[in-house]
Amino acid sequence: MSYFFQLVISGVVVGSIYALSALGFVLIYKSSRVLNLAHGQIIAAGAFITYALTVWVGIHIAASFLMSMVITFFLAMSVERIFLRRLIGEPIISVIMVTIGLMSIIDGIIYMTPFGAENFSFPEVLPKVPISFWGVSISWTQFVGVVITFIMIGAFTWFFKASTVGISMRAVSDDQFASMSIGISVPKVFGLAWAAAGLSAAAAGGIIGNITGLNFDVLHSFGIIVFPVVIVGGLDSIFGAVVAGIIMGLIQQFAAGYLDGNWGLNGTADVLPYIILLIILLIKPHGLFGIHEIERV
Amino acid sequence: MSENRWLATGNFFTSYKAEQRIFLTHVDRLIFVCFLALLFAWPLVFQVSNKYMLVIDSILIAIIAVYGLNLLTGFAGLISIGHAAFVGVGAYSVATFARILGGDHMLLTHYWPLMIIIAGCVGAVFGAIVGLPSLRLRHLYLVIATLSFQMIFQWTINFSRFYDQGQSIAIGRVFWFTGKVVRKQHYFFWYYVILVFAVILGFTVRNLLRTKQGRSLVAVRDNDRAADAMGIHPGFTKVYAFALSGFYAGVAGALHAYLWRGVGFESFTLHHSISYLAMAIVGGLGTLVGSIVGPVAILMLDLQVENLAEFVGHYLTAIGDVATALRPLSFGLVIVLFLMFEPRGIANWWRIIRTYFKLWPFRY
Repeated sequence: MSYFFQLVISGVVVGSIYALSALGFVLIYKSSRVLNLAHGQIIAAGAFITYALTVWVGIHIAASFLMSMVITFFLAMSVERIFLRRLIGEPIISVIMVTIGLMSIIDGIIYMTPFGAENFSFPEVLPKVPISFWGVSISWTQFVGVVITFIMIGAFTWFFKASTVGISMRAVSDDQFASMSIGISVPKVFGLAWAAAGLSAAAAGGIIGNITGLNFDVLHSFGIIVFPVVIVGGLDSIFGAVVAGIIMGLIQQFAAGYLDGNWGLNGTADVLPYIILLIILLIKPHGLFGIHEIERV
Repeated sequence: MSENRWLATGNFFTSYKAEQRIFLTHVDRLIFVCFLALLFAWPLVFQVSNKYMLVIDSILIAIIAVYGLNLLTGFAGLISIGHAAFVGVGAYSVATFARILGGDHMLLTHYWPLMIIIAGCVGAVFGAIVGLPSLRLRHLYLVIATLSFQMIFQWTINFSRFYDQGQSIAIGRVFWFTGKVVRKQHYFFWYYVILVFAVILGFTVRNLLRTKQGRSLVAVRDNDRAADAMGIHPGFTKVYAFALSGFYAGVAGALHAYLWRGVGFESFTLHHSISYLAMAIVGGLGTLVGSIVGPVAILMLDLQVENLAEFVGHYLTAIGDVATALRPLSFGLVIVLFLMFEPRGIANWWRIIRTYFKLWPFRY
């Protein structure tokens, strides 16, 4: 039974990181209806910036964590300004293809740095002895990661619910023309959405880097695992992303814990989310909490 | 009927049938026939080393695959980032026969045209399955469906013992009427086979767009509600676009398997899907010329990038693997720059040059 609870704990840890990764994706989709396929690369970039600041420059890890969030904030904003701003009004299909191109470009840039080929790991700052209770254990890094994740998600939820900027972002996602007519600058909102997505991506990258170590393949695969999460949760729901992230984490952990090694199966954790994605697309395309769009084919 | 041979000004079509001809003028047809004759004749005249013959064959295979992607993305307006997986389905359906019957079985070596068609059909079936969500969804979600198909495909190949966990599965040498195609003639022989397939399938695409089935794809892309009102079922049209694209990809995959005489997992990854997309975008989405020019341009660029990487790697040994860095970088830049500055692709340059010469000495 404690094996089961251990799987639940690690599922929640992984799942909350998925939720944080999916958050940035949902932010961009919510405001501009763009599927950002380069999200995993932004997560990786955030993680590498955190590492570079901590180890190469020598700043304390908490400070570098915040600084990398700020840097990625402006990085994502400038990506939007340079590449996507001039595509406003173009068909959405070409905007999505631009993000595919961006994904390739950031891949190339990261392969040029040492991070592309080698593995790094963050210095340990938290106590090494894991927190144990009732026969299950969770390491301090994971615990702090989950706490930061939920703080971030709470902050974003508040931001959308209560702040003026957040409300204007929601207005844009609802109706661009109407929000323009009441004086909201739509391009600025798009820029801010990208910037916020970059910020949350850097946070996710920093946490993943601390838990699993820095490996480019692992980090940018988080940008692809985001898709099952957001589809299950509903593409435009932050709450859905959180719930679906944790569901997905649990499913993966249970698959790895119970399916692998039996019946000749291996690595099911990697494929199950995508199978679930295809099934969800067929039977409940809006996901659990997505807005039920009336138009359908 | 007085034929306007050059179509210099205005349209003189008096019937829809006249407008839909494949070759608008006799000169067009003559140029095309000469070009085709050149394609068939040049390997007889020039001797090309196996290395370059392989590159040319790969370009032709990519052209067949991009026909399919262009039907899907250009004509039907559905992005696919799993096209390499569909190509892989074609290749692995040949490999399945090779695993069950052995690589040198008669079915594979003697009846290879049949195998190529079967691979195409398997690709079509998989395409239709992946396209099934389009019965209920709009195009955005289908990107995700194709991506997840790519992931499932990679996992299936990587983890199944039947496919040797992605290791290369050998396929024997094929037979022609004159006997076994030996090593010396291999690339030469397959050049002709692939060329014939590319020409036939190219004509199929061109002819498809003259029929109701083809134009319904474009109608659904441009406005699915209007298409629906005109009696075209948007969902089924999309599923069928996926199936068509899967068929082309499957044929390309089978040809790839025969050309390389083996099927390995590493030719069908997400990176390849992106480079197929780059080919379609650079060539020009929604044009037949584009799906021919795009692969040529991208694979030539790829060769140059490889040369450059070798050159740079010679001097900068400290920086990691330059080749792995330069390839995604250049592909990404090409995609982004073309979408930003020339969304209609190289095919548009071709059109501009043609009209320039037609109208000369006038500017328009």
